[in-house]
Amino acid sequence: MPYAQPNDPEQLRTWLLGAARKDAQAFQALYLATSPKLFGFALRILHKHELAEEALQDAFVAIWHAAGRYEATLAAPMTWMTAVVRNKAFDILRRLDAAPDIDVARFEAEVLGNVEDTAQGPAEALQTSSDARALARCLAGLEKPQRQAIGLAFFHDLSHDEVARQLALPLGTVKTWIRRGLMKLKTCLAREAA
Amino acid sequence: MNIRTNAELRDRLAAEYVLGTLKGGARRRFEGWLHGDAGLRQLVQEWRARLEPMAQLTPARPPRARVWRNIEARLHLEPPPKRWQLWHRDPLQWWRTLGLTGTAAAMALAIVLAMQRPAQQIDTVAALMDERAQAALLITADHRNGVIAVRVLGDTPVPDERSLQLWAITQQGTPRSLAVLDERGNAQIPLNDRALGSDVALLAVSVEPKGGSPNPNAPTGPVLYKGSWVRML
Repeated sequence: MPYAQPNDPEQLRTWLLGAARKDAQAFQALYLATSPKLFGFALRILHKHELAEEALQDAFVAIWHAAGRYEATLAAPMTWMTAVVRNKAFDILRRLDAAPDIDVARFEAEVLGNVEDTAQGPAEALQTSSDARALARCLAGLEKPQRQAIGLAFFHDLSHDEVARQLALPLGTVKTWIRRGLMKLKTCLAREAA
Repeated sequence: MNIRTNAELRDRLAAEYVLGTLKGGARRRFEGWLHGDAGLRQLVQEWRARLEPMAQLTPARPPRARVWRNIEARLHLEPPPKRWQLWHRDPLQWWRTLGLTGTAAAMALAIVLAMQRPAQQIDTVAALMDERAQAALLITADHRNGVIAVRVLGDTPVPDERSLQLWAITQQGTPRSLAVLDERGNAQIPLNDRALGSDVALLAVSVEPKGGSPNPNAPTGPVLYKGSWVRML
């Protein structure tokens, strides 16, 4: 392993600032350290390798151009970069205009299963920022339907309506779950940060 | 709907905006409010910080090598010189790939002779080169004053928010930190065997976080310049 802590935020920040100065080596180091995590995320949204690769490419082209504006956002480097990847992946979804390809059972196993692993902190946790570990612990504390509804909306760019259809539940129920789930997360994350 | 006075509604809409469930006309209306409402923008930032880390909860999957090649091609990035990481596997071989050329050594000697002052006795020099074999730094060992001086040459850039760090690489390929260069790219260190010992095979300068590498035993940033000592006596 070239880097002992691949996603050490200070190291990532240094490389992002390097990219802002058009330092191609810093940019490549940033890519090497973060691309597995970001590709895993794009693949989760888009399912197909070719599409996830396209999203990752679009995202890194955007990161290179926007790196100069990164510092002002005050966000953790991984959080900022995943937001770019998410936008690019959703752009591709919209362009394809395909019905979302969602398998709730698989989603539960892959993402929410990983939530529990990350919350407990084994190997995967090393590649995950402290923000994400806190969020994982708080998500693990939600009731399963709340967590499912929030997770589906986040990873698949769904409206309340679409989440309700995916879970085969009334719209009002889903709206309430999401609202309560979000407020519980807020309280839990405030406690984590304290 | 008065969005400014309803704190609970503001927070909920900000959360749903970040989550993505706020769609269509409602989303556009919310974005309209954001322009003139710094407090609302703050709420959105807070929800971003809360929810966006969810993206990191998916398992990592390394992308294929062609993804980076495509990014490089789209951005017209120069293919980088050999990556510094390689020396982990093949200690000394890699450092040697960019040894001093005869021309470079001759040039270093010329510079040193031009700078030689009577009070100095410079008997060992090194010119560190970039990947295009352009001399970037000059290092001189002055035995009379017991000082090794490092200075950048010409228009060698010194990064603002980072530091350049000088390393001696031993025959075994182990890096040994010698000095963190100052903001102008200069340094003076006492003459010593860590720098000049017979086990020193090469000298190298890496880019590090401000103040030097967090790891005292190895560079963390890319190595920009390399070269070796030339004894003049």
